[in-house]
Amino acid sequence: MELERIQSLLYRLITAPSGVAEGLAAEGLRGADELSALISGDERLTAFERLGIYADAYFYRLLEVLKEDYPATLAILGDAQFHNLITGYLLEDPPTEPSIMYAGSKLPAFLRGHPLAEQRPFLADLATLERALIEIFHAADAIALDAATMKAIALAEWPAITIRRHPASRILELDWHVEGVLRAVERAEDWSVPACAPVNLLVWRRNAQVSYRELEPGERDALMLAERGASFATICGAVAQETGDPAPAVRISRLLNGWIAQGLLLRDETGAAV
Amino acid sequence: MNRFGLPALGTGVGLRPPHYAEVIAERPAIDWFEVITENFMVAGGRPLEVLEQVRANYPIVLHGVSMSLGSADRLNRGHLRGVAELAKRFEPAWISDHLCWTGVGGRNLHDLMPLPYTAETAMHVAGRLRQAQELLGRRILIENVSSYLSYTQSTMPEWEFVSAIAEEADCGILLDINNIFVSSFNHRFDAKQYIEGIPLDRVVQFHLAGHSDHGKYLLDTHDHPIRPEVWALYDYAVQRFGAVSTLIERDDNIPEFAELQAEADEARRRSDLTISPAQSLVAE
Repeated sequence: MELERIQSLLYRLITAPSGVAEGLAAEGLRGADELSALISGDERLTAFERLGIYADAYFYRLLEVLKEDYPATLAILGDAQFHNLITGYLLEDPPTEPSIMYAGSKLPAFLRGHPLAEQRPFLADLATLERALIEIFHAADAIALDAATMKAIALAEWPAITIRRHPASRILELDWHVEGVLRAVERAEDWSVPACAPVNLLVWRRNAQVSYRELEPGERDALMLAERGASFATICGAVAQETGDPAPAVRISRLLNGWIAQGLLLRDETGAAV
Repeated sequence: MNRFGLPALGTGVGLRPPHYAEVIAERPAIDWFEVITENFMVAGGRPLEVLEQVRANYPIVLHGVSMSLGSADRLNRGHLRGVAELAKRFEPAWISDHLCWTGVGGRNLHDLMPLPYTAETAMHVAGRLRQAQELLGRRILIENVSSYLSYTQSTMPEWEFVSAIAEEADCGILLDINNIFVSSFNHRFDAKQYIEGIPLDRVVQFHLAGHSDHGKYLLDTHDHPIRPEVWALYDYAVQRFGAVSTLIERDDNIPEFAELQAEADEARRRSDLTISPAQSLVAE
């Protein structure tokens, strides 16, 4: 048998959701014949059992990785439901990337259309937040603006300087306040069903530590502008407009100090303000 | 310098997250570290920061699990470019990956699947290895995997298959002593015969690890200390190949670093004991 046919057959059998037996049934008699003709068995282990070792390893390896990636989703669902969720997920979105760290990247999207989401409609948002934590942990490095650098900028230059948001930060626009659920699971406390209300969450990394918090009014638009590089004047205008604050200076100053402390901003050296 | 002009690194340990802080802060007396390539193929953050700090104090080797050199798919050049970028930044002593396939049809099993041991497959893998080496701009090492199944169409023993590919692709061999032991039990071949069948001039590195006994078969779990039978096989390999850079692997039930360091010391002690001064000079 050609290598491609061998590998494709083994792939189908190993990834069959209920194990090698179901996979063989799906292949029909031809598959069963091919297996015994393909894999050597002996009195200790049949060809079927030998392939089963790989089938078990495939599922349980990925299940363990996804349990680590989605501890809160696991805590909400419990082991049995999470197991079933992952069985369906791997069928729909099998790993395609060389690195196993991407194996769970499509789970939030998969959950949006899943029957479990009817019982717990906040699950997809929770998984989205958990996935963002992983991706921000590995996001690109950049040197954040610090307070000393900011202070060194002449007052007259401020309106024109352009600012970018740190690449290791992301704004999530969610329908459920899932941040409280994740916090409770992280602290091993009881969780409660979150409020259903639009929320903007910021996920960011500072000194290798990934954090998340709700954005306050005025922050979202400002930080979205800073994602593409925006002048400080434009950002101030966005804060003023979103909050309706006629004298936004105090708020802007407070937000700016917070962003600097959290390492959220970079000075855009290209100067291409939006 | 060692085979192919590669450095003789001594005895090392696989770098794993539970030991990052200790390795950076305390700089334990270990000759070198091996890292899992894919864990560091990220845009930024803690893993790369750690590797920078470890690399500043130790030689490192990149050990991959995803080249899928035996797949029927096209070689994943994007992945190889990523490996090349990582190598450019961290200057590893060498790069290694496994003699296996990990996926097909663009999908990944995230497992090290064995190949049929045929001349045709050997040529297929060697061709891909040559392409990979060209893209990486260096000779790489291929590692023998543990396996639980074998193919009826195989026409040669595994050691001949490994040797044929290494010769054809002109690559080095990372000989995993535990994998030989595990596969010899699972497929009932003589582990010493395997070692005798591997060409002397291609082995650049040894792996040592623990495994689990499932009664009917052994599973390469890397979650136990190295078993006495594997140590004995290591002694046999050292007798044949001389001083070869040796690495202790542990991926589950990861103990205190000191325990792995003690295994590395034991490997060094056995190697020193086994190799006569004359042999050592030849190996150097």
